[in-house]
Amino acid sequence: MSAVAADLTSALPPRQTLWSKAIYKFRRDRAGLIGLGIVLLYALAAAGVWLGFWATDWADVSGPKWAPASAEYWFGTNMIGQDIFSRSLYSTRTAFEVGLVVAVLSTLIGAVFGAISGFFSGSFIDELVVWLMGVLDSIPFYLLVAAIAFSLGDNPYAMHIAMISTFWIGTSRLVRGEVIKLKEFEFVEAARSIGVGQLTIIFRHILPNTLHILLVQSTITFVAAIKSEVILSFLGIGVQDGMSWGLMISESTLEVLAGFFNNFIAASVLMFGLVMAFNMFSDALQDALDPRSTVGGDS
Amino acid sequence: MELVQYTVRKLIAGIPLIFGVTLISFLLMVYFGPDKTYELLGKNPTPEQIEEIRAQLGYDKPVVERYFIYVKELATLDFGNSESTGEKVNDLLARTIPVSLLLVTPGFILGNLLGIAFALIAARYRGGWVDKTIMGLSAVGMSISFLIAIIAFQLLLSSNYGLGWFPVRGWSTDTPLDYLRYVTVPTLATVFVALGYNTRFYRAVIVEELTRDHVRTARAFGVPPLKLLSVHVLKNCMIPIITRIVFSIPLIVISGSLLLETYFGIPGVGKVAYDAITTGDQPVLKAVVGWTAILFVFAQLLTDILYRAADPRISLNGSSE
Repeated sequence: MSAVAADLTSALPPRQTLWSKAIYKFRRDRAGLIGLGIVLLYALAAAGVWLGFWATDWADVSGPKWAPASAEYWFGTNMIGQDIFSRSLYSTRTAFEVGLVVAVLSTLIGAVFGAISGFFSGSFIDELVVWLMGVLDSIPFYLLVAAIAFSLGDNPYAMHIAMISTFWIGTSRLVRGEVIKLKEFEFVEAARSIGVGQLTIIFRHILPNTLHILLVQSTITFVAAIKSEVILSFLGIGVQDGMSWGLMISESTLEVLAGFFNNFIAASVLMFGLVMAFNMFSDALQDALDPRSTVGGDS
Repeated sequence: MELVQYTVRKLIAGIPLIFGVTLISFLLMVYFGPDKTYELLGKNPTPEQIEEIRAQLGYDKPVVERYFIYVKELATLDFGNSESTGEKVNDLLARTIPVSLLLVTPGFILGNLLGIAFALIAARYRGGWVDKTIMGLSAVGMSISFLIAIIAFQLLLSSNYGLGWFPVRGWSTDTPLDYLRYVTVPTLATVFVALGYNTRFYRAVIVEELTRDHVRTARAFGVPPLKLLSVHVLKNCMIPIITRIVFSIPLIVISGSLLLETYFGIPGVGKVAYDAITTGDQPVLKAVVGWTAILFVFAQLLTDILYRAADPRISLNGSSE
């Protein structure tokens, strides 16, 4: 009797949730795994800088001007004799700092605004949020960032605030759309019928069901933040103190036409590596978490 | 007649957007923006001189009144003269916008056309090595920063370390040949970075359409693949394609390409707008932001009308509002 029951249960497929399926699929995605591995390596390098293990001498003017790559200066030195290897390693920390701060905060703000406007869709609150998103989308990005940076003066987080103030919109639109769909589901009706408060329904019952969107969006925002940093730093409204790949590249614009490429190549290649790996990871995550695709299927 | 009514209604519906864009930009760029008072004064100014300059710049009026002066300027499209150069703002824009348009249009068109072409090829051979190669290269292109692409193309094509075929920086459109010489490198960099994003976006749209029933039916009836893609698929993909293209236009017209203009020293409107923010040239800022908002409302109108042309089922009076 019990043997039959055991047979029956073992014949049943394992319980499948969105997450267990996603993990299963992600572990089969070679590009995604390689991407994640590379991102973790960069994260390790950044953590080491943050803990003070290496690249502490990034600001020292120690070597000769424009030294070629050598055992002492792995990537050579820049126009005033600073070690390019230390500087590019230190910039890894900056990239993670910018990426994480912007990605986490934009995703949080996008989730809250998107969930509230989606849940109350059609109401005044919803129209206000949709209006705000349309307005911010209609102001050219670099002008908005420049304006925020200048109105905040020398605040070192001006660039972060400027990016967050536009990057939350994409997430918010997606969450809003998903919440409009979700709020018609039975579990919401059930929660309401037993007297659960509206805010609890939104944040405890509905929002956790958009977690897959939030996860993917935060990886996309992370990449967008790193890429914007380069351009903003070149324009002079990016990283204020410290060192970043963007600052290295804008520094290198003075060098490349004189024939010294070390600074440019070091920053470009390192940045490309992180962005590419993150894109691969993000794509794999997106595929794995897409509820429409099936395990093993290619759609 | 239906179209006229619709246009009028849509333009009125665009007023909240214009109001919001101008209000937020006004607060950020004008109210919290740089204060020019002391730049225009000599050393050791008297309080009277300070008062006079502040009155001249309009700083002494309350915020609400200053905003309404802006709204009035917007309604009459007369923004006065630039505070930096004294040039009439409308003349300044009329001089710099065509430069930006000449600079970015070739790259914009090529980037979108090539993107659609590659997307069609990738979708045609979906899952095969052609598709994988195209999508892999798109991912690489998406991972390269615009600034890096610009520097790399300049080095390879314009400098003595590369081929040295084109001028390193600057701008001239005196003859078509000059134009071609100066526009090529910026265009290549633009296409290079836009192509990855465009190909990916268009491929997703096309693949989505390929899974529809009518496409399967057409295929079952033996419609050849090329005809299938161009007639049955691409035509039905027009709505997202139109949206993407039309909504890029206002940003291109008004902000041009700030990065290209700054890097190559091209006198376009992007650079003018950016300089206006850093120096606090309010009349120029107000004009740039106001025009962008107006163009966005027109872009919305244009997409709706183009939707109608692309898909006759969409009614301008319908519930799509």
